[in-house]
Amino acid sequence: MATIKTTERNDGPVNEPDYLHVTKGIKGWLFTLDHKKIGLMYLYAILISLILGGVLALLIRTELWLPGKQLVEQDTYNKFFTLHGAVMVFLVIIPGIPAALGNIIMPIQLGAPDVAFPRLNLSSFYLWVSGALLLIIAIPFGGLDTGWTLYTPYSLESKTPVLMAVLGVFLLGFSSIFTGLNFLVTIHKFRPQGMSWFQMPLNIWAIYATAIMQVLATPVLGITVLLLAVERFAHIGIFDPTLGGDPVLFQHFFWFYSHPAVYIMIIPAMGVISEILSTFSRKPIFGYRFIAYSSVSLALLSFLVWGHHMFVSGQSRLANMVFSALTFSVGIPAAIKVFNWVSTLYKGDIRLKTPMIYALGFLLIFTIGGLTGLFLGILSVDVHLHDTYFVVAHFHYVMMGSTLIAFLAALHHWWPKFTGKMYTESIARACAIGAFFGFNLTFLPQFVMGSRGMPRRYWDYDPQFTIFHQLSTIGAFVLGISMFVSIVNLMASWKNGKRAPRNPWGGSSLEWQAPTPPPLFNFEKPPVLHEIYNYDDLVEVEEDVWERRAPIEEEPSRVPGDAHAHAREPVKSAPPEPIETKADVVVVETKAETPGPTATAVEPPSKKEDDK
Amino acid sequence: MSEQPHAAHDDHGHGHGHASVFIQHHYDDAQHQFDSGKLGIWLFLAQEVLFFSALFVAYVLYRHHHPEIYAYAHKYLDVKMGAINTGILIFSSLTAAWAVRAAQLRQKSLLIGCLAVTIACAGGFLVVKYFEYTHKVHEHILFGRYFDPCVSSGGTPLITKNNQCPGTKSTVQWDVTTGVASSGCFADVAIDVDPRARNVQADCEVFAVEGTETIKAGKSEFVEKSRKPITERCFDAVFGPNGGLDGKAKPTGAACWKTNYNPHVCKGGWFFTWSCTGEKCTAPAGTEGPFATDTACKEQRTSKDGTLKAQGTAVVSECSSSRASGILVDFEDHQVRKGNVRIVASCKAPPPVVAPADPLADRVQPLQLGQKTTTTERPLSHHDQKEALYAGPPPPNTNMFFTIYFAMTGLHGIHVLFGVFVFIWLLIRATKGHFTPDYFGPVDFAALYWHIVDLIWIFLFPLLYLIH
Repeated sequence: MATIKTTERNDGPVNEPDYLHVTKGIKGWLFTLDHKKIGLMYLYAILISLILGGVLALLIRTELWLPGKQLVEQDTYNKFFTLHGAVMVFLVIIPGIPAALGNIIMPIQLGAPDVAFPRLNLSSFYLWVSGALLLIIAIPFGGLDTGWTLYTPYSLESKTPVLMAVLGVFLLGFSSIFTGLNFLVTIHKFRPQGMSWFQMPLNIWAIYATAIMQVLATPVLGITVLLLAVERFAHIGIFDPTLGGDPVLFQHFFWFYSHPAVYIMIIPAMGVISEILSTFSRKPIFGYRFIAYSSVSLALLSFLVWGHHMFVSGQSRLANMVFSALTFSVGIPAAIKVFNWVSTLYKGDIRLKTPMIYALGFLLIFTIGGLTGLFLGILSVDVHLHDTYFVVAHFHYVMMGSTLIAFLAALHHWWPKFTGKMYTESIARACAIGAFFGFNLTFLPQFVMGSRGMPRRYWDYDPQFTIFHQLSTIGAFVLGISMFVSIVNLMASWKNGKRAPRNPWGGSSLEWQAPTPPPLFNFEKPPVLHEIYNYDDLVEVEEDVWERRAPIEEEPSRVPGDAHAHAREPVKSAPPEPIETKADVVVVETKAETPGPTATAVEPPSKKEDDK
Repeated sequence: MSEQPHAAHDDHGHGHGHASVFIQHHYDDAQHQFDSGKLGIWLFLAQEVLFFSALFVAYVLYRHHHPEIYAYAHKYLDVKMGAINTGILIFSSLTAAWAVRAAQLRQKSLLIGCLAVTIACAGGFLVVKYFEYTHKVHEHILFGRYFDPCVSSGGTPLITKNNQCPGTKSTVQWDVTTGVASSGCFADVAIDVDPRARNVQADCEVFAVEGTETIKAGKSEFVEKSRKPITERCFDAVFGPNGGLDGKAKPTGAACWKTNYNPHVCKGGWFFTWSCTGEKCTAPAGTEGPFATDTACKEQRTSKDGTLKAQGTAVVSECSSSRASGILVDFEDHQVRKGNVRIVASCKAPPPVVAPADPLADRVQPLQLGQKTTTTERPLSHHDQKEALYAGPPPPNTNMFFTIYFAMTGLHGIHVLFGVFVFIWLLIRATKGHFTPDYFGPVDFAALYWHIVDLIWIFLFPLLYLIH
């Protein structure tokens, strides 16, 4: 049995090339339908955007080192923070975990050969690329100065290329919709038989909840920016008060998307953290169902709280109160997650690998970010804090500190799986710690500044805020350097990293059964389904190499033409020995003799006899 | 619609029971692929609903805030055209659904026929829409700042702000010295009915003011005035509650003018300049233009009260007493003109002003002793009130109705157009015989898409065309 060959160090696919070597040349990448390659292309594009957005952030922080002009004029500063926001939100955080890592990992974690619609997946990627290019090309055309929120009526008047940018956002939105649609169908139709909804990894639950929001919220952004674009060139008047339109309607539409978008950013992060905390605590996740349900309930609640961005925009008092109350209810599923994560750690065999350090940092940062959100949900307090650095700090704690840290955690967690290489652990760990401290140094002072009245998006400030701005700037550089080095460290592993084993962290989900790196259709043979988050069987045979202790009962696939039949067939050449015949000689232990958790062979998805 | 399978992957190994070459590799079988596609298209339709939902929300919001706009503006739409399109779309939904059945039963020619009829219906829908749109463009019944219709929704000619609507053109030879039009005449109907009514503007359009000589204020220096036709329209003044001209200044360099109050007299008049530099028009500095009669001049001066608020009423009283009529030309260059002026203008009948309903009209009179019932006289029947409303000028912000109308029907039209391309693609594939009982997903999914396009129209038709 291939899964129990403990001495096998080359953990790549045996009978076929891995996905990186199926095809050669640039065409093999640009026209690939393989979810892993598409995901990897997303990942690179996102990392480039991350560096762009990060450089803009550092320029902003440098400008704010002292009151008055340091680097740039006011107008340029406006463009800097607008592009920083737009690039980070639309190009990094929203697609970061779902589109890049979700694409790479989710189908493998599900035991599926690919996503449901590979062609749609590739077109989503190209939609994303065109949208991103439109957004970035806006920089040489004068940059955008509306803030990433594109509020009317200023966005109707701004002399900057708003039209180009909103068309970019429109395309990015549809990329996100199609990705979500693809993932929903994949999770529904490609779950192997035997994997019920409550045996799915929590990461997949999170991606599922995210995909719901992507499909249902993003169209509203699509139509909103479309209307904004038409308003800009045809003056239809829908958001233009001089023509009888309503600029606040834009805010409603915008936040109807953009609040769920915040959860599109954070819920996948929560899924990743659930995986990592459990894996590195060597303990089943505490309250599996609660975490799963809380992901979905967060997704549903996210549609009901958009008004809390507009407490001072002229909403009715009743609407403000309703939105405030609903906003507090978001605290319930979020707190459920945090309590369950902490309970997972309790008495766990905690291993402080890089992903775990990031995950623990996430736990603290997310808690602060979540709790400060409650301040802003209180109507009277929000009047004071609205549009101050307190808000900036709060949403950076959630969007940047939580999501981006989780993105890095996920990147370090699954990097060995999809690259087949181990990164340098010591550098990665140092970067994780540096990022944590740098982040807090950047944004904790901003809470103080904000509560003392420092308004956001200002180029100049009162000298009393100098010390906080300087602390924040120092922190930003620590954070920026840590993140940059950690990315360089990962990239260097392509060349210098040692070969990654099949299961370096002792993960229990299906992706750790796949060869490293996986072949084109992810598995050479059907993965074996174990009880989710049960680590009893997994032992660390040497450092960073985990194996299942007992031979696993396995049944060969019995249905001809099942999903994994493709995987068993070699792509290029005939196999030296068909794997099916291997399965025939396996001595299958009976379940009664297996003391450990139950294990069942994956079977293909059920085939419905329906009304065709 | 993007998940349609394609014959790309049949290069290696379809030897395990796949009936159609269009079954992609990573699916177990035809059924698995069909089920996945079906779920995918349903999710796509869900996002379509959300995509349109913002427009429906905008519709509800603006209708809630401005019901009068919707009551007035829907009358501009042609119910007949809308009904024809509804019929066309419903029929094409039938043929689309029939096409699915034909594909399932391998009835190739029926499938081709159904698809062709669907395409023809979609094309017909777009043709009808084209006629509706061009009519609106022609009549300036458009969105936003382009809403400037030539006729009211009931068909009465309207004063427009910027448009040269077809109408009668009058040429008046104006003698400023005597204050009498020496030749030509503005028709009675062309003269403003009540300048104090808000938003009632002059109904003539000046194309040229020729033969003008200008005296710089207070000096006898004659300057030839430009003979350029004046197309900038009429004085956009609003007579506020105080009777003053509280309209804002026109853009510099443009002539603005206003017909005077007198519905019965078409000759005689007076002429003087006003300066419209600030929020309000200020009286001419020292040199008022010639008045028709001495009495008129005297009345004009006495009625001014030294305040601006008297201006509106001054004009009224002066004219009604002097029986003089004419036009007030504001050249905005603050210069007095003398000599014969030839004014070329196009005039139309102003919209009749709808009298506000008597709030007491419907009040039930208290019963007197021995009286069993009351009879109240209603000044206008419901129908007459509606007619009067439709005949009048559009209420403020009526452009918002057409913003929403064009946004909704335009987006829907784009979806119909996209549907046409999809069905043409299906037609090509159907002629090649690609669809089998094992593989008819694309037809099914396109039909579902077509149903939602149809369904959206079924909501749009009553919401836009059939409201009251």
